[in-house]
Amino acid sequence: MGPLVINEIISANTNLLIAFLIGIGFGFVLESSGFSSSRKLAGVFYGYDTVVLKVFFTAAITAMIGLLFMSLFGWIDLDLIYINPTYVPSAIAGGAIMGAGFIFGGFCPGTSFCSAAIGKIDAIVFIGGLFIGILIFAEGYSLWEGFYKAGFKGIPKLSESLGLTDGLLAFGVIIAAIGMFYVGEWAEKKFPREEY
Amino acid sequence: MNSRVIFSLVFVGLGLIIAATPSNTTKAYKLTAEELLEEAYSRNQYISPDEVADLLINKDPAFLLIDVRDQDEYEKYSLPNSINIPLTNLLAEEWEAYLDQDIRLNVFYSNGSLKANEAWMITRQLGYENNYVLEGGLNYWAETIMNPEKPSSTSPNEEFAKYDFRKGASMALGGGALVGSAGGNKPSAKPKIASRPKKKRAAGGC
Repeated sequence: MGPLVINEIISANTNLLIAFLIGIGFGFVLESSGFSSSRKLAGVFYGYDTVVLKVFFTAAITAMIGLLFMSLFGWIDLDLIYINPTYVPSAIAGGAIMGAGFIFGGFCPGTSFCSAAIGKIDAIVFIGGLFIGILIFAEGYSLWEGFYKAGFKGIPKLSESLGLTDGLLAFGVIIAAIGMFYVGEWAEKKFPREEY
Repeated sequence: MNSRVIFSLVFVGLGLIIAATPSNTTKAYKLTAEELLEEAYSRNQYISPDEVADLLINKDPAFLLIDVRDQDEYEKYSLPNSINIPLTNLLAEEWEAYLDQDIRLNVFYSNGSLKANEAWMITRQLGYENNYVLEGGLNYWAETIMNPEKPSSTSPNEEFAKYDFRKGASMALGGGALVGSAGGNKPSAKPKIASRPKKKRAAGGC
């Protein structure tokens, strides 16, 4: 049956509409879990607040379990799900830039728009920086095109390179997530902060 | 009980179920009779002799010709690099890996297209993908590739390009005599072989 757009069960326009509704839901959850505070995001790095880690990891394992069960029931063809192709050097450089921006700014792209929507000035400045970054990347593309496209690895799956089934790896990820939640809550107690 | 513990237990439980399920049950499903009829009528399973000749000459590694005729017919004449899976043996276990895969492009052929179509229909019904049928079979192959008919002098250039390609293909694949088209040794443009559009993955991202 799925993916719905690929198999032409719904049109591309309906797809956009659904994406719009999901986007509103996503923004709502971000805002209501307090993600529009940059201190909450920075808290992950200092250990006083690990809500971000917990929310995103819960989302990841929920989606993972959901997809695997839907595939098991024949509702979706996992071969047709988009997976970002892997380019090793650009993944490392991009991860480092993104991580640094995360600590400096206290936002990730999604949460910055979320808190700009409620009028936070730091978020608006952050978005300004984001566009400057986009501009630099796009205008200087010829300079880093070689680096950007180096080390292409296709779409390797962790389960395939470890020789495990998808289900077994999913189980491992769940165990790891629960362990991480436990460590996160321990850190919250260990490095408390009165007010932020 | 603490709600965190309950959630954790639910996730671990679901994880255990998914870990214990063999992954091959997550394979694509079979077609219904209506879907198969629709596919058969769309004629999307056909690959033209020109496309096959192009793949053969370019020695495309992701391409396999499968002769579904009987063994003696196969031994008498077959296309280069083809393997023989007689229709009666199609469902034998040894051939399953050849037919049910998503890497290569398989092309069935027989004398006409009847037997090849039967093979295609059976494999398609089983939910296998990437199996196709040589349009018109060997008879049409002989007509178009091995002994191409020279277009009349008033034909459009594409016809001549096609003819030149077929002549070249015929030489490369060991057929008919060598005669240039329309006089002159000017190498004419290779006719465009329309490649099969692949099903795109759903695009996405963060």
